[in-house]
Amino acid sequence: MNKLRAFWTRLINTLRGASYSKDFADELETHVAMDTERGVQNGLSPEEARRQALIRSGGIAQAHDAYAERQGLPRLDSLLRDINYSLRSLTRNRLVTAVAILSIGLGIGSNTTIFSIVSRFVLRPAPVGDPSTLLSLHINHDGDRCCNQFPWPVFNDLREQATYLSDIAAYDDLVPASISGGSEPERVWGQGVTPNFFRVAQLPMVMGAGFHDADEKAPVVVLSERLWKRRFNSDKEIVGKTVTLSGHIFTVAGIVPAAFHSIDQIINAEFWIPLDMTPELAASLPPHDSREYHWLSLISRVRSGVTRDQVTAQLNTIADRLAVSYPATDKGNHFVFEQAGSLPPFYRSMALMFLTALSIVVLLLLAIAGFNVANLLFAQSINRQREMAVRLALGASRGRLLRLVLLESLFLGLAGGTLGVMLSLWSTGALSSLKLPAPIPLDTQVSIDGRTLAYTFLISVLCGLLLGMAPAWAASRPRVAHALKADSGFAAAGGRFRARSVLVVAQVAMAVVLLALTGLFLRSLESASEINIGFRTRGLLLLHVDPRLNGYSPSKTSAFLEQLRERAAALPGVDAAVCSDVPLLSGGNRSDGFTVVGRTQKDAPSVPTADLYMVTPGFFNALGIPALAGRDFSHETANGPRVAVINKAFAERLFAGADPIGQRVDGGGSTYQIIGVVGNAKSRTLGEDTRAILYRSLDQSVANDPSGMGYTLIVHTPGNPAGIAAALRREVYNLDPDMAVYNLETMDEHVRAAYILPRVAALLFGIFGAIGLVLATIGLYGVMSFAVARRTREIGIRMAMGARPSAVLNLVLRRGLSLTLTAIALGWPAAWMLAKLSSSFLYGIQPHDAVTFTMVPVVLVVVALVAAWIPAHRAASINPTQALRME
Amino acid sequence: MAEKPDVWQGTLALMVLRTLETMGPQHGYGLARRIEQISGDLLDLNYGTLYPALLKLEQEGYIRSQWGNSENNRRAKFYELTKAGQKRLRKAAQEWNQTTEILARFLDEPGKA
Repeated sequence: MNKLRAFWTRLINTLRGASYSKDFADELETHVAMDTERGVQNGLSPEEARRQALIRSGGIAQAHDAYAERQGLPRLDSLLRDINYSLRSLTRNRLVTAVAILSIGLGIGSNTTIFSIVSRFVLRPAPVGDPSTLLSLHINHDGDRCCNQFPWPVFNDLREQATYLSDIAAYDDLVPASISGGSEPERVWGQGVTPNFFRVAQLPMVMGAGFHDADEKAPVVVLSERLWKRRFNSDKEIVGKTVTLSGHIFTVAGIVPAAFHSIDQIINAEFWIPLDMTPELAASLPPHDSREYHWLSLISRVRSGVTRDQVTAQLNTIADRLAVSYPATDKGNHFVFEQAGSLPPFYRSMALMFLTALSIVVLLLLAIAGFNVANLLFAQSINRQREMAVRLALGASRGRLLRLVLLESLFLGLAGGTLGVMLSLWSTGALSSLKLPAPIPLDTQVSIDGRTLAYTFLISVLCGLLLGMAPAWAASRPRVAHALKADSGFAAAGGRFRARSVLVVAQVAMAVVLLALTGLFLRSLESASEINIGFRTRGLLLLHVDPRLNGYSPSKTSAFLEQLRERAAALPGVDAAVCSDVPLLSGGNRSDGFTVVGRTQKDAPSVPTADLYMVTPGFFNALGIPALAGRDFSHETANGPRVAVINKAFAERLFAGADPIGQRVDGGGSTYQIIGVVGNAKSRTLGEDTRAILYRSLDQSVANDPSGMGYTLIVHTPGNPAGIAAALRREVYNLDPDMAVYNLETMDEHVRAAYILPRVAALLFGIFGAIGLVLATIGLYGVMSFAVARRTREIGIRMAMGARPSAVLNLVLRRGLSLTLTAIALGWPAAWMLAKLSSSFLYGIQPHDAVTFTMVPVVLVVVALVAAWIPAHRAASINPTQALRME
Repeated sequence: MAEKPDVWQGTLALMVLRTLETMGPQHGYGLARRIEQISGDLLDLNYGTLYPALLKLEQEGYIRSQWGNSENNRRAKFYELTKAGQKRLRKAAQEWNQTTEILARFLDEPGKA
């Protein structure tokens, strides 16, 4: 306690820089005076008495020192002085410091950006109570069967039998609703949940009590704080009031915090209604007794005292039991669980691969930047050998010098980290603003969170310390005798140069790896842009509506869309107006398995998944999809025999060369007669292998299998399609002023969104690759010019002895080239091995792409020659007489 | 002139506290004189030892100081024992007595080799 008090006083004294030396000097003076007085009393002369008093005192100056040391904290004091000194020496070499901070800043900024993505999508727990114990359950299948979600009966089975789980809640992850009144009508997305959902999630309400167990079929709704602010004016009295969703009346039961978007943290849901109420809003829900429709997501918590292994074992037992009871549907099902808030297994492994590749790249980048700065500091430390030698000669300890240099590099690291955070604030903002190719609302905001800041701080400090190591060691070990003389240890220079060469070789080798990866992704973007998507994009405008959210019956929806087509077609400049459910290339779609009617053999070919699109007559013409056989839709009656047009891939897979026209296929509970075959088109994503597609008549499908995503009006005009957007929107409001219009975009924009993956990958890798190349070039240049400066005298002698400038030029270029070739020899095989990792993100090229792997070494050699040529030229133009006189 | 033993910190602090207890508020010179006297001039306190020790005791809150006038009307800094200092003195004295007692027993014991 008293020690602490003393420490505190000394700390404050140190920081205030306070000094009581005047006070203490007075005290000492009194002491000496009193002692002198006694001497005089004892009969000495005043001078002699004072002399003896001073001798007895043991030295005034020493007393002052000892006193001052006790007054403050000498260690802290010297640390503060060192900090002050290193900051000053950093500001003295402004250029070196600026280059160093910029290099580290770029390196750390890239790492921070990538880590913020990892933090957002992999590390961040769901914003629920006690997130570490909340589990989300998934179904895994043997073989390749669809989704990870649950049929209703399986949910019920689990609820009854999985006794190790305390409570299981189910939800339907996407339910649309329209909200009108006030401003423009708007479509919002929510989720249908079992009433125990918020209890299992332990999500506290901002207001209201949420759902009660009895609310299973009650028209109640929980709103997101965001929706409540946006559409309901933050009405404090809203709980208990009614709101209208798609024309249905719901009573508000609670408001959940704005931070909660959904359990998976990606879907951006804004309201929650009881699962049994979802048929009011969603078009059609799978029957509760079907074990075939996988549509429910489950969350649960482990009962206390139960281990996760026990849960796994119990889930396995249940899966085995169900497989026996329901062999047709449940055989091959496995139940797995993981901490809620993470991506579903399939997406997770994809995302992890991509992020791993990116992390490797940014770490390489940081290493290159680090080597660059280490090289700079190394060069600087050699220049500062004199200074260090003087300090050593004056009695500074080597430890003190070491600390001084480490402090400097630590500051560089921290300054770089600060710059990095600023850079990544910008870059995460740019990433967040990218539009994803999906018709549903996704929350993909990436921002710098506490975790990311902690990570950045950590790598900044680590970076700073590592950077300082080599120069610190070098600086604190000058050969005093050599260094004090004018020449700064000529003997040692060779060794130092070798160390710097190693650094630069490592740097360039990493640049090879980085450039190879960059090259791959740039080539991938190039080849992605050459992918034939199978339909035209020019001159098309898309407009989405969802009449069913306004309570339209199927026939009224059909009529509305027809009227809309007529009105659109009548607009000046419009030469085609057609409808579909979702447009092609929207990320995902309805799909079903198909078999040919009449073929009964067991091994008859089938199409396990074909994507289903609803279209109206003229669709293929409007989109420029070539007709290959048969005819287009004409005006089929809604109740007539159902007809379909298939794409070439569908025909090849199911009919293998035979004529499909007139044949009938079965799938998704309906039978279709095939009336035509059209060319292939990309259905879900650009990177997909050609998928089988079945187009069916919109009018025939609206009633029994309505679209969950609404309908799209596609208009073609020879002019600029964006120009008719306003007119088109007006036509919708003319038909129904309450109809929400969303995603009004040109087909070019729509398809560009589909390029997001190759584009983002190429953009990120392009930026990182460019930074890496520049840094490596600077490093090479730095080393070469340093070498030339070192050898000025030697070159002078050579030239005095008759060496020609061209020979000197060659001498230096050869040195630079040999460094580069060594680096390429090391980096190329590493790049070759790493390239495999990127294979699943490349479009249309092999990971060992010949162009990339030949271009990268060539580019590097050229760049290296340029970097070495400047110092080489300087060497060749050395004036021998001046060089020899230098010293 | 015979070598005089150095005063080590712990004991000096105890001497200072004890001196202040018996004599009341005292300036540095007085303290030094008194300690030297009691030691029979065996101890010699130089400033570099005495004043940092006083500062340490003050920082720890065992003594406090104040400028005042000496008997000869000279301005001097007077040190005074605090409550905490009295407590500290009692405890330290007890510990010290115990230590010396134990050591004395060892040293007094007749050799049994």
